Amino acid sequence: MRKHLLALGVSMALTPCLMAQKVGVINSMSGPEAPIGENITNGIKLAEEDLKKKGVHLQLVWEDDTGKPQISMSAMEKLATRDNVVGVVGPYTSACSNAVAKLAEKYHVPLLIPAAAKEEITMQGLRHVFRMNAPADRYASSLIDAALSLGKPRSIAFIYENTDFGTSTSKTAKDYVAKKGLQVVAEVAYPKGSADYRSSLAQIKSKNPDLVFMVSYVADAILLMRQSKEVGLQPQAFLGAGAGFTTVEFARERAISENVISCTQWTNDVNWPGAKDFGDRYKAKFGKEPTYHAACAYASMMIMAETAKNAGGDRAKTRDALKAGKWNGVMGEVQFADYAGFTNQNNHTMLVQQIIGGEYETILPSQFATKKAIYPFPKWK
Amino acid sequence: MAVFMQSLISGILIGGVYALIGIGLTLIFGVMRVINFGHGDILMVGMYLTYLLFTYLGIDPFVSVLITFPLMFLFGGFLQKVFINRVLNAAAQNQILLTIGLGLIMSNTVMLIFTSDYKILSTSYSSATIQVGGGVSVSTPLLISFLITAGITAALYWFLLKTDTGQAIRATAQDREAAQLMGINVKRMSILAFGLGSALAGTAGALIAPTYYIFPQVGAVFTLKAFVITVLGGMGSVVGATLGGILIGITESMSAVYISSGWKDVVVFVLFLLVLLFRPSGLMGKSRT
Repeated sequence: MRKHLLALGVSMALTPCLMAQKVGVINSMSGPEAPIGENITNGIKLAEEDLKKKGVHLQLVWEDDTGKPQISMSAMEKLATRDNVVGVVGPYTSACSNAVAKLAEKYHVPLLIPAAAKEEITMQGLRHVFRMNAPADRYASSLIDAALSLGKPRSIAFIYENTDFGTSTSKTAKDYVAKKGLQVVAEVAYPKGSADYRSSLAQIKSKNPDLVFMVSYVADAILLMRQSKEVGLQPQAFLGAGAGFTTVEFARERAISENVISCTQWTNDVNWPGAKDFGDRYKAKFGKEPTYHAACAYASMMIMAETAKNAGGDRAKTRDALKAGKWNGVMGEVQFADYAGFTNQNNHTMLVQQIIGGEYETILPSQFATKKAIYPFPKWK
Repeated sequence: MAVFMQSLISGILIGGVYALIGIGLTLIFGVMRVINFGHGDILMVGMYLTYLLFTYLGIDPFVSVLITFPLMFLFGGFLQKVFINRVLNAAAQNQILLTIGLGLIMSNTVMLIFTSDYKILSTSYSSATIQVGGGVSVSTPLLISFLITAGITAALYWFLLKTDTGQAIRATAQDREAAQLMGINVKRMSILAFGLGSALAGTAGALIAPTYYIFPQVGAVFTLKAFVITVLGGMGSVVGATLGGILIGITESMSAVYISSGWKDVVVFVLFLLVLLFRPSGLMGKSRT
């Protein structure tokens, strides 16, 4: 009897799996990118729950790429040939995504990349590769556009870490300001992890720039702002591109982070359908604030799963439906379009935010604004 | 001019803390002829100690030096007694391997406990400054740590020059066997020296904590710096390490302004090579031929 019950239980548990479409997930669940990977994993888990409620049963095949492109590629091979998935959501990092994109094209597997920033990924004319988030160049252009719409800055200074990320982001920014007629008065590339930026900042101060554009990770971002205050660097606005300026830790340092302008793909106070609800449920379930990666991953999985289901598990039909479709959800309006050299790229609106009262408040675009921007940057106290 | 003064002053202030790290290393080398490759990791332990004292007991980082110093002294003494003493007469590469190994154990243990996340200590004065005039400002926490460094260095000089124990340590450094013949307990002096060296590194960690950030691998940055400072000043010379620290601080800060931030390490090492070319035993070192 007991055996029968067990068999019944197993078969009941298996039934939805047998009927379900297989969708692959490649993510950095361990390794150095794991803290961000965790957000993506959680976002997809929430999507899985919501899909169940909607009656979309899917079987997820999880693959951990540990943040390494070669492992990411073998994961893609396995998903495409052995697991026969309809589509894949992931991977996280730019390097992994770029490597996997070419494989997706080779095996004709629709790939939806949730949160990788490198522009090149969707600029190679790959028909099966779709991207949810806005690419890296939009960080620079959104921030500079924001400053130009708020005031009349004429000059700009750059300070960035001399890594791939820092150099490429500030390079796109420099190209963009050249078009907008801003004068670059100082440029400092610093080695990550220096203890003392005071002399570089003093040098920038002596050039008296209207804007200061910074690209850094968490700890450096705090140090840079602290030392900017120390040397009395007083531009019209501090623009922070990159990871360091959009974290809770940074906002908590109110003495130095207040009024700094940064930009992000998503916040939980934006009025995109379900964004606030997603933020609340995420916090209730995982005990942490979601980052934009979580929202990107959630939206990507919702779209991929529903499209795969409607296409009856056919890869070609799924691809065509992704290309033709239009959605509106936690990431706002999503459509994979071809523009400005991009293929299947969601022309996502970046949100420009400012830390006001210790909180990130959206200031631009104005239809999503939660607070009025403070410009120019107030005198250091 | 303001830029020049600004970078000179911050160079001197940061150099003071570098000096403290260098003095610890040079003291250990002087007495035992052991190059301590775990020096930066000892500093890192000091940083985490400060972090714990501040976050859980609310003790100000600068006040916590009073606790960090003796604790790190005991920790250093323990390392010396249990590990280093056993390899004092071993080949140099064995000593180096031992200290590297100890360093790795420290940084990985800390990583297991605290994860590899960056920690930032935020005190009420972390971003406070004092205006000196002429557009030059001085970071308050950096100034305080410089003053504490100066105080500790002065006390250390007094200890080494005027007290019996200090003279015994110097005697051991000069000639271990002769010192032993004179009735000095050299093993005890070694424990004292390693304890002091560790306490200085730990204190440096505590002093940097309010202005820098804390993570388990932070030691590597400072081990290398400590080396350059010690060799530049002359291995085993406390005065040399003080000078070397300040010199490196100023060079870093000046070259960041007048050459390029990315090149400042190159400038430091070129200077280092030049000093070694013209004074192979370092600025204050005596040649040991």
